[in-house]
Amino acid sequence: MIDVQGLSKRYGSVLAVDDLSFRAEPGTITGFLGPNGAGKSTTLRSALGLVHPDAGGVTVLGVPYERLDKPLHRVGAVLEASEVHPGRSGRNHLRILATAAGIPRSRVDEVLGLVELSAAAKRRVKGYSLGMRQRLGLASALLGDPEVLVLDEPANGLDPAGIRWLRDLLRSLAAEGRTVLLSSHVLAEVSQTVDRVVIIHRGKLVRQGSIAEVLAGAEGATRVRSPDAQRLAALLAARGSTVTDLGDGVLAVDAPPEQVGELAAANAVVLHELTVEQATLEEVFFELTGGETTQ
Amino acid sequence: MSALVVSELLKIRTTRSFWGYVSAIALLTGVGAAAHIGSTQEAARHELSFTLGLVDIVGVAVVIAIILGITIVTNEFRHGTITPTFLVEPRRERVLGAKAIAGVAFALAFAALAFVVIAAVAIPWLTIIDVPLRLGDGDVWTRIAEQLLAVVLWTLLGVAIGTVVQNQVAALVGTLVWIFLGENLLVGLASLLDFDTWAEYLPFHALDAADGTGGDNLLSYWPGVVVSLGWIALLGAAGTWRTRRRDIT
Repeated sequence: MIDVQGLSKRYGSVLAVDDLSFRAEPGTITGFLGPNGAGKSTTLRSALGLVHPDAGGVTVLGVPYERLDKPLHRVGAVLEASEVHPGRSGRNHLRILATAAGIPRSRVDEVLGLVELSAAAKRRVKGYSLGMRQRLGLASALLGDPEVLVLDEPANGLDPAGIRWLRDLLRSLAAEGRTVLLSSHVLAEVSQTVDRVVIIHRGKLVRQGSIAEVLAGAEGATRVRSPDAQRLAALLAARGSTVTDLGDGVLAVDAPPEQVGELAAANAVVLHELTVEQATLEEVFFELTGGETTQ
Repeated sequence: MSALVVSELLKIRTTRSFWGYVSAIALLTGVGAAAHIGSTQEAARHELSFTLGLVDIVGVAVVIAIILGITIVTNEFRHGTITPTFLVEPRRERVLGAKAIAGVAFALAFAALAFVVIAAVAIPWLTIIDVPLRLGDGDVWTRIAEQLLAVVLWTLLGVAIGTVVQNQVAALVGTLVWIFLGENLLVGLASLLDFDTWAEYLPFHALDAADGTGGDNLLSYWPGVVVSLGWIALLGAAGTWRTRRRDIT
């Protein structure tokens, strides 16, 4: 369980996180979404005691991270993939963390196997690909077999097979009752992985809920096909709807299907098709975050 | 706490710079010992000051010690490994304490290595040319102890500087420039104005006094040790305060 309560953090003149509150529950994968610079990393780092909030706070398993006893046994975190000394081997990196946390060395080899990095364990991290570094980060998060996992952009640098592997791993961890909170700026990476989403923009919460709830709250477009599409488009436009001509007599309209149907009947326009196009999560995301893309 | 110290020892040992320290010490003390014996007049080799000079070659270890102390801290900020380090132990002052202990342990090991190398050069050589080794002389052992304490003080000051400056290049370059140039320049300037009575209290003047070799315009031994510890405490407290407050982003 991660509980973010009224979190605010300012860096100089930039308000990185602005009175943000949400929860990540056990047994659930929570996707923490927003464009780059939305305040995701600041929030996650505040949850881990690395960043000191200006107001509000975060509790993990009921207490602030700093007050957890043996934190690596309770919470695992994958932050930036580059936080490893390039001259050290992956195994030595993990051994250093395991030693400090009182975790036996055998567990190091175990997690290296789990993230499929055993073959590269003795090589210097300098020679690792970004994907291998992500796996090493994940291995360090799993060292203490924690109840809570926090992952910042874990899919960065993973190939599609890697993303799928990660998804299966996180699913099985959540199924064991663990809390998984992962951030991403690429919705497509996580939409099939997460149970719930928390969407932030400019440090503020803009939407949260299950994927179905978030989609239900979004405005879908109405798709209508008519042999008399030009006249229908003019009638709809006259009533103030926005109409997009998709060609072949198909229009997309930002009005509910009832209104489109009634208008067509009143004006004796023949319709061949009238359906609701559900907005995709991607569209909702762009709508909520002002269409600001990423990178 | 002991787990943290062992982890810090492992950190020092698992990078290449560790072998850089080892070879630098072996090389510098080996060459230094040979040069000291070779360049001393035959008659002078029989004096106590010759043997003490041999012990003083271990002084090259203090520069390695302060570099080690600085990098123990700044390496983590440079490579971002401070994040996992503080995830394991969020009580940051404990991490700094473990670093100081591990740094001192390695610095003493380096000093021991320096003594072994000096002995390996000097004992056979001096035995062959029939110069007394003076291994039973109390003054020699006092000097050895003083040099070991100096290594400890330089390491701790390095750790303290690292926690204050945190940027590796700035900390290393700044410290070395300050040791070899800055502090003497400051004293020189002050003495022109007849205003240099405080010079002996400056950190590296105090450390210079604390290695037992003495010198002009320096504090005597124990005041030198005390003033050095004062600087370590002052910078260490400032660095701990800064490290605790810092956002790790």
